Amino acid sequence: MPRLDDADTVPAVNLEAEGKVYPAVAFVVEPERVGAFREIFGLPGGIPPTFLAVAEFVVMPTVIDDPELGMDFPRVLHGAQEYELIRPPREGETLWIGARLDSIKVRGGTTFLVIAMEVVDETGAAVTRTRSTMIERTAS
Amino acid sequence: MRRVVTREDVKTYAEVGGDGNALHLDDETARVRGFDGVIAHGMFTMGHLAACVAAWAGDPAAITAISAQFRAPVFMGQEIVTGGRVRTLDPGTRTAILALWVTSERDGETEWPIKRGEATVRLL
Repeated sequence: MPRLDDADTVPAVNLEAEGKVYPAVAFVVEPERVGAFREIFGLPGGIPPTFLAVAEFVVMPTVIDDPELGMDFPRVLHGAQEYELIRPPREGETLWIGARLDSIKVRGGTTFLVIAMEVVDETGAAVTRTRSTMIERTAS
Repeated sequence: MRRVVTREDVKTYAEVGGDGNALHLDDETARVRGFDGVIAHGMFTMGHLAACVAAWAGDPAAITAISAQFRAPVFMGQEIVTGGRVRTLDPGTRTAILALWVTSERDGETEWPIKRGEATVRLL
């Protein structure tokens, strides 16, 4: 096991963290936030399809800061993103976002982490499911 | 749909989107990470792609799935260009699956900020 206080050693990703589930966090679909998002992308109306990236970022810090995961997030890049848009979110509603470390793989000098998130409404019905692939090149 | 990506755009996206990673805001941080300067969030480019599909479909709610791979960085001042084609069309379910991409020219070379993009659209 690398010693965390050894300055020359980069902590290895913890493969055993695969499957870890993070507690759901609440997110309110604020009309002002939706409006600002719409404005950035020039949408005349409706909820922008990638709006729930904002909700994902409510949970991301928990994953990013998790010492049990052992990834060096300042060195991580966003490799891919998938959205299953089951129904559009409604302005003003409260949603719950849960995250799960779907897979952690190391191939060559690169770590691939897939974070699966599910966004549900207050009745527990799914609104959106996402998969984010995060990539860290660990080889020096 | 084309869009020139500005530092202002990316800063606004960082605030509204909640992703304040310094890679997208500070040139020095980006250089330490191996980039020539600040790069746009992958989700910024994907947001642009989604808006293009929404415009094509006529309604953002018509998009039932969208995905993308982020394959090249987008630096400030670069123009991103969205492309797509209808890969399959099911008249029974009135659903189209689109193949999508985003390209950008940099130093005379064509790069692919988004490759293997895909969207499922319920047609009106």
